[in-house]
Amino acid sequence: MSSKLLIPLHVSYIQKLGESKDDLAYHLTSHLRLNAIYWGLTALCVMGHQEALDREEMIEFVMSCWDDEAGGFGAHPEHDAHLLSTLSAIQILIMQDALDRVDVPRVVSFILSLQQPSGVFAGDSFGEFDTRFLYCAVSALSLLGRLDELDKEKTVGYIERCRNFDGGFGNVVGAESHSGQAFVCVAALAILDRLDVVDTDTLCWWLSERQLPNGGLNGRPEKLEDVCYSFWVLSALSILNKVEWIDANKLSSFILSAQDLETGGIADRPGDMVDVFHTIFGVAGLSILGYPGLVDLDPVYCMPAAVIEAKGLRKGWKALERRPADS
Amino acid sequence: MPSPTGDQISKSLFAERSEWSDVTPLQQYESLVNPLAPIFYTEEYKDATDYFRGIVKSGEKSQRVLELTEAIIRQNPAHYSAWQYRYETLLALDAPLDVELKLMDELAVKYLKTYQVWHHRRLLLAHTRKPAPELEFIARSLGVDAKNYHTWSYRQWLLAYFNDEDDLWRGELDFVDAMLTQDVRNNSAWHHRFFVVWGCGVREGEEDRGRILKRELTYVKQNISLAPNNPSAWNYLRGVLDHNQVLYSIVFPFVRLYTVPFNSERTDIVDLENPPPDKDANLPCPAAIEFLADVYEQDKNKESTLQAVELWMSLANEHDTIRKKYWEHRIREALEATKV
Repeated sequence: MSSKLLIPLHVSYIQKLGESKDDLAYHLTSHLRLNAIYWGLTALCVMGHQEALDREEMIEFVMSCWDDEAGGFGAHPEHDAHLLSTLSAIQILIMQDALDRVDVPRVVSFILSLQQPSGVFAGDSFGEFDTRFLYCAVSALSLLGRLDELDKEKTVGYIERCRNFDGGFGNVVGAESHSGQAFVCVAALAILDRLDVVDTDTLCWWLSERQLPNGGLNGRPEKLEDVCYSFWVLSALSILNKVEWIDANKLSSFILSAQDLETGGIADRPGDMVDVFHTIFGVAGLSILGYPGLVDLDPVYCMPAAVIEAKGLRKGWKALERRPADS
Repeated sequence: MPSPTGDQISKSLFAERSEWSDVTPLQQYESLVNPLAPIFYTEEYKDATDYFRGIVKSGEKSQRVLELTEAIIRQNPAHYSAWQYRYETLLALDAPLDVELKLMDELAVKYLKTYQVWHHRRLLLAHTRKPAPELEFIARSLGVDAKNYHTWSYRQWLLAYFNDEDDLWRGELDFVDAMLTQDVRNNSAWHHRFFVVWGCGVREGEEDRGRILKRELTYVKQNISLAPNNPSAWNYLRGVLDHNQVLYSIVFPFVRLYTVPFNSERTDIVDLENPPPDKDANLPCPAAIEFLADVYEQDKNKESTLQAVELWMSLANEHDTIRKKYWEHRIREALEATKV
């Protein structure tokens, strides 16, 4: 059990991610590869160690994922373009100060082509639609400075229809409220300056109810806690200025107890296997909670706050004040 | 010709089969020495995906492509390009989609957690237009994983998409009831009930909204009495009252029963309107205290506000301390409102 965030260990865990030659599961996750790089890089940035991965290699890899036929980025070379990986590519290139490598008009065209008549976005031409992809589209267009090309009314209209009786949001119209969707819907609305669509009191109450006695957060009532909700729930609360409604000490302890003290990395809950997905979202949660020594994270874009501020995209979110290092 | 079973497929590589010798397999793009994206395969997976890239390049849409995509999907159900190409091939061949659905039934049991399994069914259903057997299949899947988000979302899609077939909805209430009998804490089932009863437009036979409201209030109260510390049921109660714009005071006598420790001197008069908790229940129930506070707050007078404040204080200090700051917010807000 550790009561501290073991930053050097997590940095080395992320650096070693590409070396798992015996990890059979690794090749099955090629459809997540670009996303995984974004998660790893963002975690390093928040821990103050962006330099731990080679910048040139990373940029080259991102560009090798370019799907010239579709005009977007796939998750891996030769994979079809997808909104999830396209957003990750843009985020990585911005953090690496290499956005000039992107063919912006083509990417904008790809993104806009995925909007459905109902207002939701498909992830790719396969047609899976989900409010997650709506968020990816809105975030990507915003980061590229092309948000004005989006039909905002139509987009906001869809999110509004996803709002449920408990104040939460589902992944499509009619679906159950889920913490992950709370983040994507609220963050998209923040970017579009339409937080008026949120029933703030009810949603934030629902989000505060995600906290279980062990301090961890779950995704919906009567389900298990999971470290990744430390980000999905906290970011939504932060955007709506209600982070105080979560017991910060208990949540911090929970996240820290899910660290692997030998290999580094953070798991979904204490004792389970770590992965880079839970590592970034655990670290992101701690940053929003004001954990000492971490870099400020923008909860709307899940990128370093300074980067977003420099682009003039900062919205009115509020995190807990960062505690001094020896607290 | 039926495709071979998964076991047979994995036994011989496509590279070793003469009937595939006319296809040029294409290797995965190998980026030079990039520690972030090493390429690791089992031999079978590499073989199948090499041949997949080969037929994608040539644009082939034939029966053997179905065999190939099935091989990939069985090894990696998240390979969405394989799913997409399979679907396009099925259409190009005008293949019997009922047969495809049966195959998918088998795969779904093994690979339930991936989204593509459900999306593929959605695409097929849009063509076959036979939703009733699908409801059966979804029910069986939920038997394995009762809270699977994609499964429930798929059921909701199916009902809404084939909405004009009234028969489809007929068994839904019974279905939800069966799921809740299995696990009264299944939030997905409670959400689905709200969707079916209130969310999807009024259907034939359900026009008397007053009767429906009464029925649903009775239902949720009974289920609360079975398991009081069940946030989904309390959320449902709140949702029903809000949706019908009914003041919470209508359930005041019921809620109050759950805000005090068990009263062993209570006589056993059966009050169907207000089913009480049984002696094994964990009382008082924080969700009930919270609800009672909302009842008082809705009265909007100084006295009832103070009663609400007292209840919120008991939550902040004793019954729900983890959300202390939230309850303190409610107290502040209510006191502010009385000053105005």
